[in-house]
Amino acid sequence: MSQRYYEDVNVDDALEPLERIPTTDMAIEFFGRDNPTNPAFADAEAGKRLGVGGALVPGLLKLAWITQYVSDWAGTEGMVRSVRAAYRRPDVAERPLVLAGRVVEKRVEDGAHLVELEVVTLAEGQPSTRANVQVQLPSRG
Amino acid sequence: MAIPEQSLITDEHRAAIGRKSDPVTVTIREEDARRMRDVLGDTDPRYADGTGIAPPYIIAMLGGGPRRGMPQVLPGGLLTQQEWRFTRPFRIGEQLQAISQVYDIRDRLGGRYGYSVLVTQGTDYYDADGNHVAAAMITITQFDPKMASGRSDE
Repeated sequence: MSQRYYEDVNVDDALEPLERIPTTDMAIEFFGRDNPTNPAFADAEAGKRLGVGGALVPGLLKLAWITQYVSDWAGTEGMVRSVRAAYRRPDVAERPLVLAGRVVEKRVEDGAHLVELEVVTLAEGQPSTRANVQVQLPSRG
Repeated sequence: MAIPEQSLITDEHRAAIGRKSDPVTVTIREEDARRMRDVLGDTDPRYADGTGIAPPYIIAMLGGGPRRGMPQVLPGGLLTQQEWRFTRPFRIGEQLQAISQVYDIRDRLGGRYGYSVLVTQGTDYYDADGNHVAAAMITITQFDPKMASGRSDE
């Protein structure tokens, strides 16, 4: 994990896409096997009853992936300040998701060096989640 | 069930908007941090065992979260929007006070469910000194599955 500095970042910079394959086991383990969760996370039939077409990928798991994706991009001296996601369509377990993102704004606010990014999860090339992420980066200055 | 001719949101539902919950104490648990890191394959050294710091996404596990006490207008629900905000990192073992409130309840006509209700609720987490640590907000689209049947995606 390399460190990214505010001065190194430009608007329209793209993050390297990253593929993830969500599984039902992952969904269950994310929340803990002893904790109650939505049955549709583990049961394809329950997902189909919701009109999803299979086991549902938890939104919280996708939000965690997005947070990790940007945190890794920023490096250990960066800090994700906020993540705001709109779930455009449900994702189905076992189908690959690609995380992709780009820088849309950078600014200094009250001494904090802030970068705004747009991040999406793509399922078969179509956005299923759109997120706005704010990260604070260190400055070389 | 046909699409209702008037809103199913009652005055009682609307009265919940802005009303803060009693605080609930939640704990940042090491076993949650470790399990979630493992699931995500997160090797960030900041959150490794022994650092005393939990990854930010542990907020997904905190009890007393934004679904608590959410008004239930319709029986089905899908998470459609979500936000996390972090003021500082979580510390393993620390106890936080979770205070929730409903921000908005509104009707929606059209789309795959015909008629749905959007409920937005949030939770703020404070440390023992009363300092803000993090916040979580969600919007749930509540719907009646019977109204959704036979409809195609929007």
